[in-house]
Order: sequence, then C-alpha cells, then structure tokens
Amino acid sequence: MRSKLAPIAVLAVATLGLGLAGCSTGGGDDGDSVTISLGSWRTEDIAMWEDEIIPAFEASHDGIKVEYAPTDTNDYNAAIQSQVEGGTGPDLIMCRPFDVNRAWIGDGYFDSLADLDAVGKFSETALAAWTGDDGTPYCIPVASVLAGFYYNKAIFDEVGVDIPTTQDEFLDVLKTIKDDGKYAPLALGSADGWQLGYNVLYNIGPAYWKGEEGRLGLIDGSKKLTDPDFVAAFAAYDALKPYLPSGYESLTYDDMSQLFSLGQAAILPDGSWNINQVTSTGLDVGVFGAPAVDGKRYQQEMPDMAFGLNASSKQKEAATEFLEWLATPEFEQLYVNKLPGFFSMSSNTISYDNPLATEFAALKDGAELTPRLALDRLSAGTPPLDDEIWRIAQLMYNSDLSPEDATAELQAGLDSWYTPAG
Amino acid sequence: MNRTAARYRNLILFVLPALLVYTAFAVFPLVNSVGLSFFDSDGPTDVFVGAENYVHLFTNPATSGRFWNALGNSVEFFLIHLIVELPIGLLMAALLTSGVLRRSVGIYRTLLFIPATLSVVIVGFVWRLIISPLWGVVAFPLLGTEATALPTISLMSVWQYVGIPMVFLYTALLAIPNDVLEAARIDGAGGWTQFWRIKFPLIAPQFGLITILTFIWTFNGFDIVYALNGSAPGPNYSTDIFGTLFYRTFFGSSGQVADQDLGATIATVISRSSC
Repeated sequence: MRSKLAPIAVLAVATLGLGLAGCSTGGGDDGDSVTISLGSWRTEDIAMWEDEIIPAFEASHDGIKVEYAPTDTNDYNAAIQSQVEGGTGPDLIMCRPFDVNRAWIGDGYFDSLADLDAVGKFSETALAAWTGDDGTPYCIPVASVLAGFYYNKAIFDEVGVDIPTTQDEFLDVLKTIKDDGKYAPLALGSADGWQLGYNVLYNIGPAYWKGEEGRLGLIDGSKKLTDPDFVAAFAAYDALKPYLPSGYESLTYDDMSQLFSLGQAAILPDGSWNINQVTSTGLDVGVFGAPAVDGKRYQQEMPDMAFGLNASSKQKEAATEFLEWLATPEFEQLYVNKLPGFFSMSSNTISYDNPLATEFAALKDGAELTPRLALDRLSAGTPPLDDEIWRIAQLMYNSDLSPEDATAELQAGLDSWYTPAG
Repeated sequence: MNRTAARYRNLILFVLPALLVYTAFAVFPLVNSVGLSFFDSDGPTDVFVGAENYVHLFTNPATSGRFWNALGNSVEFFLIHLIVELPIGLLMAALLTSGVLRRSVGIYRTLLFIPATLSVVIVGFVWRLIISPLWGVVAFPLLGTEATALPTISLMSVWQYVGIPMVFLYTALLAIPNDVLEAARIDGAGGWTQFWRIKFPLIAPQFGLITILTFIWTFNGFDIVYALNGSAPGPNYSTDIFGTLFYRTFFGSSGQVADQDLGATIATVISRSSC
C-alpha cells in the first residue's frame, strides 16, 4: 500500500512546491539591499519605469531595488483586492481615485501617510481624491489628466474660423465647418458611453454647474441635478448633436481618434492622455478648453494616479523613501515628460517638453479646476451615478432624450440610494 | 471479503486525484460562492444577513431592473443562436455528406470550422470594422441602436460557432449505415425523401444535445459582448447578458465599486435558473 501511494504523494508534493515557488514575489534580500514592488494598472509604462525612472531612483538610493509589477487596467481592482486579502500585495499600491480608494482605505489596505514630508507638497484639493473621511492622506499623487478639445489647425485656417471662447462661438464654429461640407465638424460618436461623460459632458458642463460648487453641492445634498444649472449643462451637451458625423451611434472612441488623426474631422473632444495618438500622423494640432459661461472658465482636472503604502508591506522603510521621492521635482520632471498628457499635481514648478502638453497645461491657468462630476461618493451605490450618466448621455444622442427628462431620471436614480454626506 | 476490500481500495486510489482536483477547484468555490451570498462583507467583518441580498436583488428597482433585462437578453441571445445556428449547421452538414462537393469536402469542412478556432476578440474586432458606418460596408449603425445591437452581436457569435453544430450533425450523418440508405434507394426514394424520411429522423437525437449545449454556452456567454462593448454593455444596457451583469457587479466597472456579496447572489441565481 505504501509503495503504491508513494509516487502520487511525491507528485502532489512536487506540484505543490512548484506552485508555491511560482507565487513567491522576488522579495529576497541579496546582501544589504531590499526590493520593493510597485503595483500599477499601467502595463503600457513598463519600459519607462524599468529603463528611466527606477534607475534614476536607485542611483540616488543605495540598497533599495524597485520592481514594477503592473496588472492590466481592467483586472487591476480585482487583482489588488485578491492579492492584498491573500497577503501577497505589492509594497506600494497605485491608488484609484475617490470611491474605489475609499473602499480600500475602509478595508485597511493602506497606512496613513500624514507624517510624510511629501504630503506638504500638495494642496488639499490635489490630495482630496485619496484621503479618508477624516482628511487623512493615504496616497501620494503622481499625475492628473485634463480634458479639452483638440483641433486641426489646417482645417481651422482653411475654413476660416478661430478658437471659440463661448458656447455661442463654439456652435458657430461647428456650423461654419458643417456648412463648408468638406470635413466633419466633430469627431464624436456615442458607442462608448464613458467618453461622452468624461470628455464631453464633464468637460463643458462645469462652466454651467460652476465647477466645485455644483459638484460638492450634489455631494452634500444642497444641489440637485434637476436644478437649472445642471439642466443648462445637459442642454449645452445636447446642442452638439446636429454636428455629429453620420452613423455616430456605433462610432467608438478609437474610431473618433482615427477620424481626427486622419484629418477628416476638425475638432475632437478628448483627454490629454491621447496626445501621442492624435499627433501620430503628423497633423498640426492645437487644443482649446471648454467654452466659458459669463466670462468664467472652468477646467476639468482629473486626479488619475497616486501611490499608497500597503499596510502589510514588509519593507515599509524603503517604500516610504520611495514615496518621498515621488514628490521631488526630479521624479515629476522625468515622469511627465516621458508620459506626455499626464500632469504633475504638486506645487513644484515643472516644465513640459511636448508643445501640446504645454498648451494643455496652460489651460489650467486662470481657470477653476474641478474633477469629473460623479466619481466622488455619488457612484458608490446602485445605480452608480457615473455609469448612469454614460447611459443617459448615450440616450440623449441616440434617442432624443431631453435635458429635462435626462436630469430628472438621473436625480431619481441618485435619490433611490444616496444620503447626502452633509 | 479481503478481495472486495482490495478492489474498493484501488477504486478509491484511482478516483482520488480527480476527486481532489474537482473538489478544490469546482465544489469548494461553488459552495463558498453560495455561502458568500448570505453575508454582508462591506464592513471590516462579515455579517450574516440571511436572504437579504436576494431580497435586495429582486426588490430594489435598480438591481432588479438590470437583472430582468439581462435575463431577457440572455434568452434572446440563446434563441437567436438556436434558430439561426441549427438550420445553417444542418444545411452545411447535409451538403458535406451529399457527395456534390466530391473531393473538396475536406477543404470546406476545414474552412467552415476555422472561425470556431479564432479568438473572440479578433472576431469581434473584424466584424466591428466590417459593419462600421465609417470604414465598413453598412451605413446603418447596427451596433449603435438598441433594437439591432444584440441581434448583431448574436449573429457574429453564430458566424463564429456555426461549425460546432455542423460537426455534430456531420458525424451523425456519416454514422448512418449505408444499407439503410441503399434499401431506401431500392424502394425508390429520391434524395429529398431519403433526407427527410431516413437521415433526418436518425440524426434527430443530436438536436437535443446541440440545444442543451447551445443553452449552456449562451447562458454562460460573456466574451463576445465584453470584447465588443465592455462590462457596461450599451446602448442603454441592450446587450447586457448574465455574464456581463455578474462581472460588473462582482468585479466592479470603472464607475462602479465591486459588490462581491451581490455578485455571489447573482451567480447563485443564474446557476439555479440555468440548471
């Protein structure tokens, strides 16, 4: 009997051993050096981290090795949750803004960073996306993204229009290009709901709901989506409908970028992260911000990436040194120029090499900054306001839902579960 | 006596490896998932809440609306597969065995089956380009309107997997003994009569099998919808099926925080309703 079972037992032990060996992350210390791992959803940045940023850090920090360990963005939240709960999470975790991070803070994933010098480099608004309910900072901001309107300078010259600064001028420009007939005025489709929300409504809307006043008003319950300010914002969004290309209902985000970068459309509402894509064909591209209302400009600045310290990390000292380094001009200068379209959130003065990134950064001057409308608290229940806005924004273009009905439906959905935090 | 014991010992020995793997990777997660649906794990500790998650799923208008919508869409997804895939698969199998293709049978059989071996992501991407109003051959936004989006996605999936019922029916047709057909021919039956009176009744049991398999595949369907429309499949959730509803609830989408208890509840209800 023993002899019969022996091979199976050996096999089982061997399999188990192999499995475990595969799971262990290279946290081994060779000599005096320690290795810290960075969890991130930016798989596309592997080369940048490994070739540029990590060597720069290791050069000035003897004895610390850094390992960049990204997971695909769609699987990131689930992966981090199962890793941290299984005790195998990375030492530093890239933080999603607002609600997801608040849930992670609540589950005890992070250590407080209140004692770090790095925190002092950031304003309260910059930290806000990653603080706990009592204002304790849990993540060091790395980068934000901006929304704006890319425009094809050659088409603007040919048709003879200038950059619009008000909604009326904006509609005039679109009408002139449409009447000219040679180009699509707007590279905009409604197949992907998220970009209707993030790049169009949350881009032009803040001028109507007065940025933070409206956003925080929804959170503390003093404002409703059915208020005239919000209805006006949805109406401004609706006013773009006549200028969409034909078949826009099934035009995806990628289709839009291509339509624009092939020079067939004049204006593309998009995020700063797409800078490289829209200029990939060598077009002369500029960018303008959302039209002002009553002379006041608002600019969407969305907190995007930050790093927090895993509460169960075994290398906290080294990880903290890395977090401190994230707030230095050395890191920020390196980072934003390797990754055009992402912007530093600290008070350090940073210069951008990419001309379009410089133009984008200039949109922040003289404008009131505000993040995307519905990501903070308003999407932490069912139905999540953000997902609902994607759906409703799609319906407004596809099925002629009116701004009044749209806002009424959104507010009803919000009222069904949300208790104001005020 | 001793002999029987030895035989059972051997039996256990042979069953054990499969049983261990099956228990660890199928039975345990399943039981665990059903268990999870009775808890509320939002707080720092899990709290037993009984059937509250189920009550919430079916009484909260936001969640129950999405659930019934996904159920309707899953049924539609299944029916389109069944109604379109079966006749086309039967026609192809009949043509392959009819002898009119002569020596090119092998080539056609391979060509017709190739799509089933492609990655869903590629199928979705290629079809999206073909029917794109901007670059493709159809001016109408098939994927963009609520009425046509789900049928369009279903037909892409049918195009991909039509080879599978074809192969089932093809092998069944090949298995029909020649003497039966010969006897029919001697009795004066033509091709048409032979097919409907002899071949069709003999392969009929295959339809039950294919229907069951199609049902399982479509109700577990997820990949083609996710590849084309993501985890909040629009427009207006008109292409949301059980797979995407569960994924969105359990893992969260970019604007939605993951709710694993409700996700487990949905998973339990789905597996109940489709068993």
